[in-house]
Amino acid sequence: MNSKTYKYIIAFSILALLIVTGLLLIRNPAETENIPVNKNQSVIEDYRNSGDRYPGNSSQVIKEAGMVPVYGNWRTFTTKDGLPSDKAYTVRIDGDRVLVGTHDGMAVYENEKWKTYTTKDGLAHNGVVSVDVDELTGDVWIATLGGLNRWSGGKFETFNQLNSGMPNDLVYNVFCYGAHIWVATGGGAGHYDTRTRQWEIFTEMNAPMHEPWTYALSAGDGKVWIAAWGGGVIEYNTETSQFRDYVDPDGFMEIDLQPDDGVIHDITTATAYSDSILWVSTYFGMSRYDGKNWKGYFDHDSGLASNFINFIRAEGKVVFVCCDNGLSSTDGTTWVTYKKDDDSENGKAIITYGTEKKEIPLSPSISHNFIIGVDACGDFLWAATSKGVCRGELIK
Amino acid sequence: MKRYLKLSITAVLILAVVALIYPPYSRWARDHVNKITATTDHPVRCGSCHLYLQKPGFISKLVNAEYHSPFNLAVSEDGRSLYVVAEESNKLLVVDRESRKITHEIGVGVRPHSIVIDRGGKTAYVSNQWSDNVSVVDLASFHVKEALKTGNGPAGIGLSKDEQSLFVVNSFSSDISVIDLKTSSERKRLTAGNNPTGLQSSPDRSMVYITSRRTLSKPFDDTIRCELTILSDGKQRISARKDIISAYMMENIAFTPSGDLALMPVVRPKNNVPTIQIERGWMMTGGIAVIEMKPEGRIAQLLLDEPNAYYADPFDISVTPDGKTAFVSHAGSDCISVVDIDAVREIMAGSTDELLEQYAHHLGISSRFVIKRIPTGANPKGLAISPDGKELYVAEHLDDRIGIVSTETLEMKERIDLGGPRRTTVNRRGRQLLNNAGGTFQNQYSCFTCHPDGHEDGLVYNMASKDMGRNMTNTQSLRNIGDTPPYKWNGKNQTVYKQDGMRFSTVLTRNEPFSYRDLDALTAYIMTGIPNPPNLLYNPAGELTDAQKRGKMIFERTHDFAGFEIPVSNRCVTCHPAPFFTNLQMVGVGTLAASDDSILFDTPHLNNIFASPPYLHDGRAATLEEIWTIYGKTEEHGAVNDLTKIQLNELIEYLKSLRDPDYEDGSNKTLKAAFGNK
Amino acid sequence: MRISRISITYLFIVFIICLSFTVVGCTKVRSGMLIATEASLSSFTQDGVTDPGRYITGTRIIAFDPGKPAKVRVLTGDFYSAAYPEISYDGKQIIFSAQKKQGDTWQIWEMSLKNLRCRQLTFLRENCTDPAYLPGGKMVFSKLTVNDTVGTAHCLYTGNIDGSDVRQITFSPCDNFATQVLKDGRLLTVSRQLLPQKNNAMLAVMRPDGTKSDMFYMNKGKSIMASDPRESVDGRIIFLETTGNNSPGGFPASVTYNRPLHSRIDLSAGEEEFKSVLPVTSDRYLVSYRKSGSDRFALYEFNAETKTTGRLVFSDPEYDILDVTVAEPYERPKKLPSEVDLQVKTGLLLCQDINFTGYTETREGNAAGRIEVMGVDTTYGVVDVESDGSFQLKVLSDKPFRIRTIDGSGKTINGPGSWLWLRPNERRGCIGCHEDPELVPVNRVSLAVKKPPVIIPVHITTIKEKTVELE
Repeated sequence: MNSKTYKYIIAFSILALLIVTGLLLIRNPAETENIPVNKNQSVIEDYRNSGDRYPGNSSQVIKEAGMVPVYGNWRTFTTKDGLPSDKAYTVRIDGDRVLVGTHDGMAVYENEKWKTYTTKDGLAHNGVVSVDVDELTGDVWIATLGGLNRWSGGKFETFNQLNSGMPNDLVYNVFCYGAHIWVATGGGAGHYDTRTRQWEIFTEMNAPMHEPWTYALSAGDGKVWIAAWGGGVIEYNTETSQFRDYVDPDGFMEIDLQPDDGVIHDITTATAYSDSILWVSTYFGMSRYDGKNWKGYFDHDSGLASNFINFIRAEGKVVFVCCDNGLSSTDGTTWVTYKKDDDSENGKAIITYGTEKKEIPLSPSISHNFIIGVDACGDFLWAATSKGVCRGELIK
Repeated sequence: MKRYLKLSITAVLILAVVALIYPPYSRWARDHVNKITATTDHPVRCGSCHLYLQKPGFISKLVNAEYHSPFNLAVSEDGRSLYVVAEESNKLLVVDRESRKITHEIGVGVRPHSIVIDRGGKTAYVSNQWSDNVSVVDLASFHVKEALKTGNGPAGIGLSKDEQSLFVVNSFSSDISVIDLKTSSERKRLTAGNNPTGLQSSPDRSMVYITSRRTLSKPFDDTIRCELTILSDGKQRISARKDIISAYMMENIAFTPSGDLALMPVVRPKNNVPTIQIERGWMMTGGIAVIEMKPEGRIAQLLLDEPNAYYADPFDISVTPDGKTAFVSHAGSDCISVVDIDAVREIMAGSTDELLEQYAHHLGISSRFVIKRIPTGANPKGLAISPDGKELYVAEHLDDRIGIVSTETLEMKERIDLGGPRRTTVNRRGRQLLNNAGGTFQNQYSCFTCHPDGHEDGLVYNMASKDMGRNMTNTQSLRNIGDTPPYKWNGKNQTVYKQDGMRFSTVLTRNEPFSYRDLDALTAYIMTGIPNPPNLLYNPAGELTDAQKRGKMIFERTHDFAGFEIPVSNRCVTCHPAPFFTNLQMVGVGTLAASDDSILFDTPHLNNIFASPPYLHDGRAATLEEIWTIYGKTEEHGAVNDLTKIQLNELIEYLKSLRDPDYEDGSNKTLKAAFGNK
Repeated sequence: MRISRISITYLFIVFIICLSFTVVGCTKVRSGMLIATEASLSSFTQDGVTDPGRYITGTRIIAFDPGKPAKVRVLTGDFYSAAYPEISYDGKQIIFSAQKKQGDTWQIWEMSLKNLRCRQLTFLRENCTDPAYLPGGKMVFSKLTVNDTVGTAHCLYTGNIDGSDVRQITFSPCDNFATQVLKDGRLLTVSRQLLPQKNNAMLAVMRPDGTKSDMFYMNKGKSIMASDPRESVDGRIIFLETTGNNSPGGFPASVTYNRPLHSRIDLSAGEEEFKSVLPVTSDRYLVSYRKSGSDRFALYEFNAETKTTGRLVFSDPEYDILDVTVAEPYERPKKLPSEVDLQVKTGLLLCQDINFTGYTETREGNAAGRIEVMGVDTTYGVVDVESDGSFQLKVLSDKPFRIRTIDGSGKTINGPGSWLWLRPNERRGCIGCHEDPELVPVNRVSLAVKKPPVIIPVHITTIKEKTVELE
């Protein structure tokens, strides 16, 4: 064998090694993440035989959920408990009290009692779809289908498109950011400077929007992200007053042709920013943006309850996702999804970790699978559903 | 040389007099005066206009003077010093209580309003209403250490319980600045009532009460509601907002030392009632609101007036350390009402809610709790009581004096002269008249009552024109109106002389008309002495924001956004040209109500328009937006229907930026001082 | 030359001194002297109707120095009767009522206190009495008035001090006497309703143009005596009350100007033997008083603090002192403007709520829904009120009327109240019916002001007249 032959052997060996590695990678990507394969381990049997609230080795399962908390012992509140309506649109925890927006007014849960506020008390409209609390002043800002309210010191003050610079009376979302109150409305997004009492409005006329219809917004680190219907996500830099838009590179196609190439769809329903991560929900799945890369999540390749997402809220590393078929929460890797059984008040929490799925039966479970609002604080997770609001306790 | 000068001046004067006596000239003078005053009865007095109506300049300097005008005051913990806030001279005056002499004069910001002193008496904080800041005064060296930035129009001021935070009531932007004294920066801004002014901590320092002056109600045909805002000292959040019904102009508040009651002067207007008589309290009444501090405590209002005697414009209230007596200064009646607080407690304890409601309308109730009325100097404002409770100090605002009342004998025992000019200029006399209810039948109200600070009270009055319930009118501001005749919404008074002459006494004061001398003084003050505050909120330096610039283009546009020419009569700038943004003409803008006579309206000036809600002649528009979103659909009040909401907002931002032309001149003293103190 | 200069100077000084003496000597009634009306009441009888005790024949006006009461100067020696003098603001004139000769009607006269020259101010057919000066060179007085509107009553009239432009200002079937002008410019008069029945006299107040007429003070148990009520320096109104017996005297009492209805002080110590009272200082008065029915009314000092009569100042064995005043200048009352426009034939009356009689009253039971506006001997019509109890009437001016509230069945709920009238173009308001007069209106828009007013009498549908815009 001459030197030429050695060279060919070495080159071939390297090529073969590369090909084998590539094939291995393509065949089983999970192995590269060093995740144990699903052995279809079930805890249902142990649970049935135990008198515990949770399955015998559920604590092990919950541990595996890692950063994503698991909530159980769900309690449902409906009109029977004092809610003005079972159609709950939004929920916000404000210290010792919980504010719930419903179809028939705003309900406040405090000291185990519900109190309802309606237009008779000064609410702009009884359809309360979003509530946020200015942590600095303690003022509560209420988005209704007929204007915006500031609820302060027990008094309601109404802002609408006739008496102020508000863009539109269909206020879908309100978000307090510093001294500014941001709203997403049917006539554009806008913000109210509580110090100068000035409004600034953003529509397709002065911002890179497809149309003025905006659904929700969130803010952080000097930026505001507006979920603009058909316009993807509009980023507004509060320092430079400059816009940037994030749209689906695939256009309006309902399938994500090229994975993780950007926001998964232009019809966005909400944004949530926390821990330097921007989460974007659509009716076709959810996206995560870390400032450089986008990642998409769908019900078929993650623990997401459904691709039809109404609203999201991020707390720390975890985002809570309100779907039309359950409530999900994730840190991007591990998923905890809550679903109610159709035929009973019971349900389950499904912990998904890669392809591995584990279930913890919950009795009772969330009140309904159509979730439209969520908020978490301390040991409690509250969800607004089509059948009242429900509260889950952190399983420790 | 001097001798010749004297001679020539005398000669000129003699010639002038002779000329005026000589029939042709005297006839000309008569016609001239009739033309200038728009009346036929005003005596021929050259000085009335040619001296006293002069804008700043040599003659103005000659006939006017700069006074201190003490507004509020405080006493040091040891009781040795009085700290007097001098509103006009922009100073904090330190007065030695023993010698009754001024020991220091400390320059502060513009239009200082209130003062608070820290525990230990090392530092005083003075709010400067026209420079949007608080002067921090070192009371050891008597110099200003720093100026703390606040909201717009800082007035009432107080320290938190731990004295780490400063609460400042922003009277123009209607909010409260919470300032961190460690970082000397504003930590947060809390919304207050409408035009808040007074601030007082409860005796246990757990709560801070903030009063307000303007109503939150709809402009007309609605119950007057004025907010008392309650702030939690610990959480530094608004814990409650209490509506004081049928009352406004709540300037200040005081607590009893035991904390069982809070007492607050109030004015109870009758703007929804036709102005057909003054007798029996049909125009204006005044009293105190009594707030029970216990849980579910009631809020009552007790009138300080009497059936045939009224005590206008109650301003400040102060309670003696023993909690037995309260003193209320009546800025419009030059007196102080002495209130027996135990009698008030008795009334509260022995009265049903229905009875208390009656007392809010009863001119006899004051005889049960008012012990005495103590006469004071002109326009008593701020009050303070010495630590030993023996002396009450009264800021005699328009007399440049501090009155000292013995709380034992309830007599004015002494006055401290603050050293301002002793002569009362014509302009000063006019200001005293405007602030005094003496010109009104039974002293029921002063010009100030409906024109607080020379501005307007935000109410719409039923002036009982032909029949009753017709021609409702929104009170108009008196600020810098000298160059914008005619007056009244229907423009029927071409001059202030006419406005405040016989018609004024027949319809409004229902009392003997002002003497010509007083009418001249009042006119001189209204025409030259009531400036607009600088527009520090929307246009501090004369540089418009981008939105305001775009709004200006809309305001001045000649073509709509479709490219069609806008008729000249329907362009904003046609009727509202600079510098006063009025063409002084009568015009119709499609806002006549069924209850209005068919008239044109005097085009209002627009400077500082942001500060004068509600809008339109009958105040139907609660905000500038409503002028067009609700009441401008016919396009008769400017072409706006092609504007997007963004463009309408920009137009309104521009309107809010309009400021007094006096401030356009960079050399304006007030503005310079305002920025100098930032 | 030098001598002549001195003598000229001397002569000049003498001349000046003489001149001043002459001037002073010419002043018949000097400042500080007391001026009184005196009459012999023992010979006096009244017929009660046209003469309610104010036309006492044989009265005369005298002046004397309180320091030298013996020296009395009769000022009206050439009058058959003269009474009720009032001093002008400059203290140089008096105005009084008098009969020049027996059988003459009583007219108003003015006399200069410097030279006692008199001039007749009124030349009217009926008796005029109780004059008082008004600011602006005007006067007010009572005049017997007989017509369909008031029946027979003494109404108040004003006119220029030269007797011109005399106009009636009260239009109700009430006697008004002893009118004084308050410092606030309003008239204070002793008023007594005559129809439909005679009531006790009260103190009424009104503006000099007859507008805003209102009750100032009344005492249900007693009647106010037709004697000048006087305003003291410390803001009290001092007057005489009577129990209505045949005694010509009364009890002195006082109320505060600020709150007349609840500040009465009885100064009499039980004696009904006072004929007039004049406050000199806050606690020192001059009173016309007699110790018993057999004595003459004489002038005494009176201490308001101790309520006791003191030193006798002046007495006349032949005469009773009817009233007294001091010849000195005093502060002119305010000259009030007038809203009256004689080209207008109506006035407006607004009531906030006819069922409101005071907060402590409840509206349970039968609330009134209508009012009847009643004239002296006719009804002007029945008017439905608004749902909030308010009404607004446009009433023919200078016509007396009373109002009663009635329920659906026509039953009277309240009233009829006292007589009202509106001057041309006058606008008046009340908050309820028989309510506490110390209550002020509630700050609300009454439904009645949102509509045109109801014309009274109701049979009149339209009134063509000049409309006056006040604002």
